[in-house]
Amino acid sequence: MTTLPFLLLILAVIVGYVLNRVAAKTIRDGGNRLHSMTSYHGMFSALLILVPVLTFILLWLVLRGPVIDGMVMGGLPDGVLVDLDSGGVQLVLAEIKSVSRGQVFGTPEDWKIAAADRFVILHQRADWLLIAAVAAISLLLMGFARSRVTADFRARQGVEGIVSGLMIFCSTVAIFTTIGIIVSLTYETFRFLEAVPLTDFLFGVNWEPQIPLREDQIAAEGAFGWLPVFLGTIVITVVALVVAVPIGLFSAIYLNEFAPRKLRSVVKPVLEILAGVPTVVYGFFAILVVAPAIRSLGQSIGLDVAPNTALAAGGVMGIMLIPFISSFADDALSAVPQTLRDGALGLGATRGEMMTTVLFPAALPGIVGGVLLAVSRAIGETMIVVMAAGLIAKLTINPLDSVTTVTVQIVTLLIGDTSFDNPKTLAAFALGMMLFLVTLMINIFALRIVRKYREAYD
Amino acid sequence: MNDMRQFERDVKMTNTKITARSVNVHYGDTHAIKDVDVDIADKTVTAFIGPSGCGKSTFLRCLNRMNDTIDICRVTGLINLDGKDINHKSVDPVQLRAQVGMVFQKPNPFPKSIYDNIAYGPRIHGLARSKADLDVIVEKSLRRGAIWEEVKDRLDQPGTGLSGGQQQRLCIARAVATEPEVLLMDEPCSALDPIATAQVEELIDELRQEYSVVIVTHSMQQAARVSQKTAFFHLGHLVEFNDTDQIFTNPQDSRTESYITGKIG
Amino acid sequence: MTDFTTGAGVPRNTTSTELVAASLKRRRRKQSRLQWIGLGAISVAFLMLFILVSSLISTGWQAFTQTHVTLEVYVDPEEIPVDRLPRGGFDDALAASLGKMVPGVDMSDRKTARAVESILSNGAQFSLRDMVVADPDLIGQTITMKVPVSDPYDQLNKGLIERETPEENRRVKNNEIAWFDALVAQGAISKPFNLALFKNADSRFPEQAGLKGALVGSFWALLTCFLIAFPLGIGSAIYLEEFAPKNKLSDFIEVNINNLAAVPSVVFGLLALAVFIGWFGLPRSAPFVGGLTLALMTMPTIIIATRAALKAVPPSIREAALGLGASRQQVVFQHVLPLAMPGVLTGTIIGLAQALGETAPLLLIGMNAFITSAASSPFDSATALPTQIFIWADSPERGFVSRTSAAILVLLGFLVIMNAIAIYLRQKFERKW
Repeated sequence: MTTLPFLLLILAVIVGYVLNRVAAKTIRDGGNRLHSMTSYHGMFSALLILVPVLTFILLWLVLRGPVIDGMVMGGLPDGVLVDLDSGGVQLVLAEIKSVSRGQVFGTPEDWKIAAADRFVILHQRADWLLIAAVAAISLLLMGFARSRVTADFRARQGVEGIVSGLMIFCSTVAIFTTIGIIVSLTYETFRFLEAVPLTDFLFGVNWEPQIPLREDQIAAEGAFGWLPVFLGTIVITVVALVVAVPIGLFSAIYLNEFAPRKLRSVVKPVLEILAGVPTVVYGFFAILVVAPAIRSLGQSIGLDVAPNTALAAGGVMGIMLIPFISSFADDALSAVPQTLRDGALGLGATRGEMMTTVLFPAALPGIVGGVLLAVSRAIGETMIVVMAAGLIAKLTINPLDSVTTVTVQIVTLLIGDTSFDNPKTLAAFALGMMLFLVTLMINIFALRIVRKYREAYD
Repeated sequence: MNDMRQFERDVKMTNTKITARSVNVHYGDTHAIKDVDVDIADKTVTAFIGPSGCGKSTFLRCLNRMNDTIDICRVTGLINLDGKDINHKSVDPVQLRAQVGMVFQKPNPFPKSIYDNIAYGPRIHGLARSKADLDVIVEKSLRRGAIWEEVKDRLDQPGTGLSGGQQQRLCIARAVATEPEVLLMDEPCSALDPIATAQVEELIDELRQEYSVVIVTHSMQQAARVSQKTAFFHLGHLVEFNDTDQIFTNPQDSRTESYITGKIG
Repeated sequence: MTDFTTGAGVPRNTTSTELVAASLKRRRRKQSRLQWIGLGAISVAFLMLFILVSSLISTGWQAFTQTHVTLEVYVDPEEIPVDRLPRGGFDDALAASLGKMVPGVDMSDRKTARAVESILSNGAQFSLRDMVVADPDLIGQTITMKVPVSDPYDQLNKGLIERETPEENRRVKNNEIAWFDALVAQGAISKPFNLALFKNADSRFPEQAGLKGALVGSFWALLTCFLIAFPLGIGSAIYLEEFAPKNKLSDFIEVNINNLAAVPSVVFGLLALAVFIGWFGLPRSAPFVGGLTLALMTMPTIIIATRAALKAVPPSIREAALGLGASRQQVVFQHVLPLAMPGVLTGTIIGLAQALGETAPLLLIGMNAFITSAASSPFDSATALPTQIFIWADSPERGFVSRTSAAILVLLGFLVIMNAIAIYLRQKFERKW
């Protein structure tokens, strides 16, 4: 049923193209000189139909669901939804929907069955309405486009105008994405802050996001102080950098100056492979190999090691970051002008001295920018920590202990059934907001450094 | 002509610094330098002139083995510095380059302070025993580079902040600081304005008192102004090598004559 | 040739020459130390990659085969009457036939019977049921069928359960090992390629769990991602590179795109959860929503790659076409874009490869649900390859460890293929201007 409007649209586009092209051709064959080529006349009609109708169909499809849900729920008999919180209402809606699909569990009340029927009917009506609307709009646009075909109609300019508009729209998608991120995070964060005071969130040292499920349940109030979570993130990030920065930098130094060309041509792609491995794979690697190895190593020297240490998660994250840092550092070193290399060698520096005393310091801003981007990556990295780090927030900087991170909490709070009205799920958005802000600041700073550095040597 | 060269070589033998015999350089498949013989005297400015691509810079880079840093470059023949083969296995290019300093076409101060730029060579080579030693070397070098007065109050500021001419004199001072015996200059004034060029040329003339200077230049006027000996390169050959006066007033080879009268560019 | 010993005598600055000479050995040592450290760093990176791959292969390869047992099943009309289909005692029929093959067991003892029955995978009875439902004439006949064994016996057969382990620490007891060995002795046990890994969707039982649902889910998600990100990315890149006036707005867009490329993926998941699911009411767990989210993440990659490819087309081509009277759009779409296409495609494939491995945003939109059938449209609930890996990695059953590794190998296989295509495109169409 959903494909029919699209087929109709394609048909309309083709018909519109052919109609206009033929019309233009007739004018040309009649001895008139056309301003634009016939194909542009066809394109004009096709685009004029395609763009608005496609937008219309997509909007319709996106909005249809919520609108019909609202109509069905609004049409329920009075009183049945009283005493239900939003979760309960969601549940009723879900039940009506599953009844409408013919999946009946138990014996639903009559009003639910009636609502399900109404749901089905509304959907059918919506489908027919959509088809009718698509046909009508298409015909209208087709007629309009056809009426524009004259010898001096500037079809090419028309087409190019539409294409320009489309391209500008494409460019703004990036902005809309950013706006979407900021708006959605801000909105949910404010809702969170209605339940939890800002100061508790920012300066609290306890993170225990349990919420009583029923009014009468005796449960912890739930504490939402993000500091221990943030501290855990920092511990893991530091571990990751301790692994990645030296290995990445020394690899880059070797590759850039000392490696024979053949070795370089092997090592670079292998490092790229390391960079292309999905993080979920690293996460599994951490729990399958690294964490048990660290644990048994710790036990063999008499240390008490948690099963999901910050060391394992951070270490594996470090491995993930090695290629990132090494390729950044390699690029930065390569960007140092040849004249500086010559200058140092001409003074009698060994290649090692040239590297450590001239190239490396000269490339340092670029390298620092790369390391900062790596920091932002480590803070935002999710799968490795979700799989290999802990869940309990602890105020500790011991890498052998188990810590949790911002991203781990976001995922664990949102996995499973979520409704948008309790502090537990909203807390995830507040954490997401903090994560976004922190990484954004680091990124802007790092990108600025890198950019400045590139300009300095261009 | 050959007899004359032979004669001259014998006369000047007592203070010959560098002797090159049948030097050939290949860049991959390109034969860049063909059978070049030359003697470079101590405490003299020797200029290499010739049209672009004639190999004069390539040959200059042979004299302190800077061509070693280019993978595809192959140098054959004999180059002696004070009678010792610089391409011999036992010679460390690092040590050679400390003895034969180099100044490049484009001023290339390191992104460090003026002081650290000058102190770079002495530091890596371990020439200064103390900070005071180093201070002395830095001042002496900057004075020799004729830039001391301009920078003495801002030694801690980055060398990249100086003007082009100052940067080039800084680079010369930096090369001088390692106490080389020979100073190679690869078109040191090509990136400079006329005033800065004049300052650098004056400096080169002073440096002649203590060093053997070899300068590659594009400008015949410059060669005439600063050098005592001039070598003319063409298409990888050393066409003519003689006293500068001789080359410019009485060239022996028709190609040299064409070049200095402007027929080959 | 004349002998040319120099008469210049002792070099002027003997001391500095000596100092340099004296320092050489130490400096050479320092340089080689730096080189060795660098080589060591690279070796560490290589070693890690080697351990990663070898641990995956060593645990994963076992999952590509599955232990099966061949049974002679008598489809007893008493247990499975025609009129009750598709219901019936299929499990009893299988158990009875197995009981005949295992020596010395009393199948009338319910406990023993259940223990024997548990040699077979839970899915075996459904295979039998499907066969009988498809062809009711089989009732009353004896049919030969090959069914998978359950996970513990599969592990026993693959040597993953050590027979030397003390019985109390072993999941398969001594008498059960004896039964299995008897089956082996009768030649009933085989270990063919594990087709179920690709034919089945997820299951609670490791021996039945497969990747079909995840592969289909990933396919829909990537398709959606491609259909959205590719046109949007190219349109955006062309505009920014070829048409946009250099002003504050285009600068802002540019900064925006660079920053978006560095926003943590989990934040995109939050965006999708709040906007696509929360506000627009799109279905949870749907590959369409996943694809939409991945598209937003992939777009910056495609934009950046496309702009680089457009930049690499020399201006002379634009000037030549403009000079012939083409409009700027004609120049771009007819001349510049076709020349830049290999670069664009390479960037797109690399972007899609990243999207294929992306997990966190998909978790947030619920693509980690337990779904036992493959999605038939992008709007059905589904998992994706990386989320399936996450689910299996989280499962306690021992058999899922090797299945997780196998799933990772499949995922890496796809990534290798995609990257190989990208490299091939790059090399085949690489042009030196």
